[in-house]
Amino acid sequence: MADFSFTEEQIERYSRHIILPEVGGEGQRKLLRARVLVVGAGGLGSPVALYLAAAGVGAIGMVDSDTVELSNLQRQVLHTTADLGVSKALSAKATMEAINPDCVVTPHQLRLTAQNVLEVIAGYDLVVDGSDNFPTRYLVNDACVIAGKPLSHAGILRFEGQVTTILPGKGPCYRCLYPEPPPPGLVPSCQQAGVLGATAGVMGTIQSTEVLKLILGVGEPLVGRLLLYDGLEMAFRIVRVLRQPDCPVCGEHPTITAPIDYEEFCGVTPMGAHGLAGAAAARKEVVA
Amino acid sequence: MSVATGTITLRFFGALRQAIGQREVGLPWAGATVEEVLRRFADESSEEVRSFIFDRQGRRWRSLLLLLNEEPVEDSQATRVADGDILALLLPLAGG
Repeated sequence: MADFSFTEEQIERYSRHIILPEVGGEGQRKLLRARVLVVGAGGLGSPVALYLAAAGVGAIGMVDSDTVELSNLQRQVLHTTADLGVSKALSAKATMEAINPDCVVTPHQLRLTAQNVLEVIAGYDLVVDGSDNFPTRYLVNDACVIAGKPLSHAGILRFEGQVTTILPGKGPCYRCLYPEPPPPGLVPSCQQAGVLGATAGVMGTIQSTEVLKLILGVGEPLVGRLLLYDGLEMAFRIVRVLRQPDCPVCGEHPTITAPIDYEEFCGVTPMGAHGLAGAAAARKEVVA
Repeated sequence: MSVATGTITLRFFGALRQAIGQREVGLPWAGATVEEVLRRFADESSEEVRSFIFDRQGRRWRSLLLLLNEEPVEDSQATRVADGDILALLLPLAGG
């Protein structure tokens, strides 16, 4: 794509970026040309969306099928009291474009499924997982690995967070860390266990930083590293995580070669891959 | 069988921390394998805590990530814990 000139307003708007050696005019152009999909306009998606929009990421997709509820506003800083009852994807678009008219937001008012996920992510360079449930998290991971899209993953609960960056083929994916989701009902959601609103802010802001670094091509992303955050201790630990040769989606002999819905593998067998392989095989049979 | 002695620390994250009600516990089990530590800990814990680690048939859930001194445990049956080691038990976090 040909270089384009900044307007006077853009030079002023992005001046604090442009003077950074790691960004500069060329980096700012990269940001303006970048296309990022944010899955979830909730606790994590809010800071991610705000910082990416403010940074001048030119095209951002916001996936969310819910509407804004009062209990969201304690942490979902994209939305305001006036947005109650409004689609989160549309509310996000309004907030983000008000911050920065250079940012064009595409609302995706849908729930990602095995049927639509590849089509939705196809229009983007990078994906951010800010969803609030395991079915979507595994689906987004699998789809990004299959499509070769970089993925920023984070999860939160109470005062804790985990964040990592997945570059398919170059480092471990979410399934390398956690091959299967916990059995349904065992691990609570934020709705069940609560979450300090600011936990979402800390983790989402780290995700934004990772995404901006990947677009700019600077620094060291959290690839092969899992950052554990404990807000009560105020401790950040970074642990090494490994790619698993037997990973069902990014391993040497993948059994998941197309997106699968959680319902197909929620009857998982612990310490045995046949639950997943069976689901994948069943799907292949259906497709065939 | 090793007869090493000493204390190891089990450190918990996420829902497991909430179920146990504390961040970590010290146990005099140095010398045991990681797998033995988990079995023994589960046997001495409540049914709820146990259910985070093993299913009803006693097979370990694949949703548990194990780190020994902040490094991944590649083979829980071959890796032994030594005095002062910290074994971390992580579960994925669904919330967003």
